[in-house]
Amino acid sequence: MGFREHAAPVRRILGIVLGLLLIGGVLYVALQGQDHPESTATKTVRGVIGSEKSEFFRDPDVVKALAARGYIVKTETSGSWAMDQLALKEFDFAFPGSSEPAKEVAAAAGLKGAQETKPFYSPLVVIARPNAARVLASNGLATMTGKSSGTLLMGPFLKAAAEDRTWQQLPGSSAHAELTGTVFVKTTDPASSNSGALFLAAASNVANGNSVVADDAGIERTAPLMRKLISVQGALETSTDDPFRAFISGSGEPLILVYESQVASLLMQKQDPGEMVVLYPDTTVNTAHTFVPLSDDAKELGTLLATDPKLRELAVLRGFRPQDGVAEFTAATAPHADHLNPGLTGIRQVGTPTVKILMALAQRAKG
Amino acid sequence: MRGRAGRVWVAGAVLASLVGASGCTSGGAAEPEGSVYKEGTLRVLASSELADMEPVLEQARRATGVTVKLTWSGTLDAAEQVASGQADGKYDAIWLSSNDYLRLRPEAAGKLSSETPVMSSPVALGVKPEALARLGWKPGEVTWPAVHEAVAAGRLTYGMTDPVRSNSGFSALVSVASGLSGAQAALSDADVKAATPRLKEFFAGQKLTSGSSGWLVAAYGKRGDVDALVNYESVLLSMNRDARGGGAPLTVVRPRDGVVTAHYPLTLLTSAPAGARDAGRALTDYLRGAEAQQAITGQTFRRPVAAGVAPAAGLDREKRRELPFPGSRVVADGLLASYENELRRPSRTVYVLDTSGSMGDGDRIGRLRSALTDLTGSGSSGTGRRFRDREEVTLLPFGSKVKEVNTHVVEPGNPGPALDAIRRDVKSLEPEGGTAVYGSLEAAYQQLGKGAVDAFTSIVLMTDGENTEGVGAKHFDSFYAALPEAQKRTPVFAVLFGDSDRKELTHITELTGGRLFDATGGNGSLAGAFEEIRGYQ
Repeated sequence: MGFREHAAPVRRILGIVLGLLLIGGVLYVALQGQDHPESTATKTVRGVIGSEKSEFFRDPDVVKALAARGYIVKTETSGSWAMDQLALKEFDFAFPGSSEPAKEVAAAAGLKGAQETKPFYSPLVVIARPNAARVLASNGLATMTGKSSGTLLMGPFLKAAAEDRTWQQLPGSSAHAELTGTVFVKTTDPASSNSGALFLAAASNVANGNSVVADDAGIERTAPLMRKLISVQGALETSTDDPFRAFISGSGEPLILVYESQVASLLMQKQDPGEMVVLYPDTTVNTAHTFVPLSDDAKELGTLLATDPKLRELAVLRGFRPQDGVAEFTAATAPHADHLNPGLTGIRQVGTPTVKILMALAQRAKG
Repeated sequence: MRGRAGRVWVAGAVLASLVGASGCTSGGAAEPEGSVYKEGTLRVLASSELADMEPVLEQARRATGVTVKLTWSGTLDAAEQVASGQADGKYDAIWLSSNDYLRLRPEAAGKLSSETPVMSSPVALGVKPEALARLGWKPGEVTWPAVHEAVAAGRLTYGMTDPVRSNSGFSALVSVASGLSGAQAALSDADVKAATPRLKEFFAGQKLTSGSSGWLVAAYGKRGDVDALVNYESVLLSMNRDARGGGAPLTVVRPRDGVVTAHYPLTLLTSAPAGARDAGRALTDYLRGAEAQQAITGQTFRRPVAAGVAPAAGLDREKRRELPFPGSRVVADGLLASYENELRRPSRTVYVLDTSGSMGDGDRIGRLRSALTDLTGSGSSGTGRRFRDREEVTLLPFGSKVKEVNTHVVEPGNPGPALDAIRRDVKSLEPEGGTAVYGSLEAAYQQLGKGAVDAFTSIVLMTDGENTEGVGAKHFDSFYAALPEAQKRTPVFAVLFGDSDRKELTHITELTGGRLFDATGGNGSLAGAFEEIRGYQ
């Protein structure tokens, strides 16, 4: 869907991982001084963002901080990989969940050399209720690292998926009515949404003998398993907000893929997450939310988000990890160490396939 | 000023739904008012059960200045309007129980933004306490196979909405197909095939059908002989609170082996003007806030989606498996087609058609012909767009008396001949004579009395004037009173058209447990009304 057939073959890896902690900061620190403080002329800018950043931009403190710096920001949400299909003329910026859809957006908007920024990122996690987490752990599919946190063991998990393992077949599940049916992680649509695509990136890596799928042979090797992961789920949403809210409302699937920021935001806003265990997949692909200015009005906004101390602090309060911000994040989340893994201890970060291969996998997975 | 307009808009929409104004609910129907975005008034295509959100939306208007104008639509119809582009420019947002079906349409990609789930409610079974006791059920332990077993043994009957028109029916269909096929993951064609014999037994117990959740509740209250109701948990609990079930409160059963839950994503259309999308954003921000979430769960028994807001008392917290909605249009449409043409009890339908002289005015007769011809569909008609397989359709045109009684049965696998024959009959309708409404209605009941097939029976009455010939209202009332109990359950769906007498028709629909549909809204409204009535047949 978000992928266009004629996408330039040269496209590099989803890049996500990369950009994270890198260069951006250095470049922009130099520019920073200019728009501070109190610009008199307030600009209204409209942006299309991944739903996971919606609460950040809605946060009254963020609104205030942006206003003090001369911005009124209005946002709409869309699946990151579907943004290039929108009427981009109407927007001043796009803020997808990773760098590759950012390129698609820039291409669709006819921009060359747009000054992208990567203000913050957030790893993917799987949320579960304690019953489900305990059953996974006692069957060797996960390990618990604390009362409300643990690690999803992707190898054993994918093996179970390949065998169509059901919850009923996992000892310990029978006391819980909700634990029936095939064991799967509820993802978003990998063809239109960033988190779903990145889950396939990580899973295909494991299925490909812990190496990035890089050719047709790799696609052939991994596609049947990817198809199992996706097709069992039935209808797929385009944003993580939907399954996350289902979980909060007490319904939904036993295992749901979301961004760490969605959980961390709740915790730091002192909202009760209810019975929630956070499982970090032991193999993961990180995702640097990438800001693409589409008009002159929004040109400086990405830099501001990345470098302004107040906005960085607010981003952390909404659960994001700012550029070069491990220390900030770790300090701020210290009271919530029972749910979170700020140092990403024990988590292997892997590269992603090229866009072309990833989207081919997504299409094969959706059948 | 805005405020007053707001109340009128919302109230107007609710009223429209109660009368069944087809102009509001059907794709091809008359232009709704406000076909241009007016600053601060969000035009929303919505599921009809959201009528209960009026007080919350009024609060939202006070807090945000955004007025919401709701226009009701079934899920599939809304999907069609969005995917085909008909909704562009006409609506700013959609607010359906679920976008799952819509997302199966590839054309919908790029048309939706800011899908924001607002609240949730699973489709559940409301069971009369005496039926529960009779079956020896413990509410927390009932499964779909147990429900099937009770129905197959003739120990349980129920009402459910038409899956083709209403999401609660569709969700129930998915739930029961999952439950009876033993599918461990999203349904496949093979699962549906394997479960077909048991699904047929299950749907033999469906004694009430409806195009909307709201009317189902009313019809259920009137009937009294149906044991259970399939509907949203929120609708069932509200019905208990308002004592609308006509008896003891229903026990709400969420089958232990899984449910399908509606999440009501308020979704902006990318075709909407920027101002409308800003208004939509302000509205969703408000609705997702703690105050609104509290009000929603307290007033409507839907479950909150904001952390820290507790569900209303009466909402059971035990978890249920979420049954996956089909992931492909082929499976979803295949399931609907099986329901329509194979699984459900067939329909026996009589169309009592006024072809008096006055139908020659304007092009009334032409509109009638075209509206009826629409119901015969075309080769490529989607599910629910033509008379169903196994349906017995009788056309009973009248003037000063009944002119003809022509019956056709749509043969499964070979629907062409019957549909052609109906088209021919329709083409030959000519305006002539007076208006013998009651005598013709009596003839329709007599016609339906002849059949022995187990079927949903209904009468559609279309007239453009008041009764001028033959027996009168009193005669019909005593005729109806003398009918056998089983026949009294045949509702009359009356269509207001031309100069028909609203009071007369209201009396008929109230007496027989039917519903009034308004087709006075100009071109297309008659076709819209006939189309909408299909959900009740």
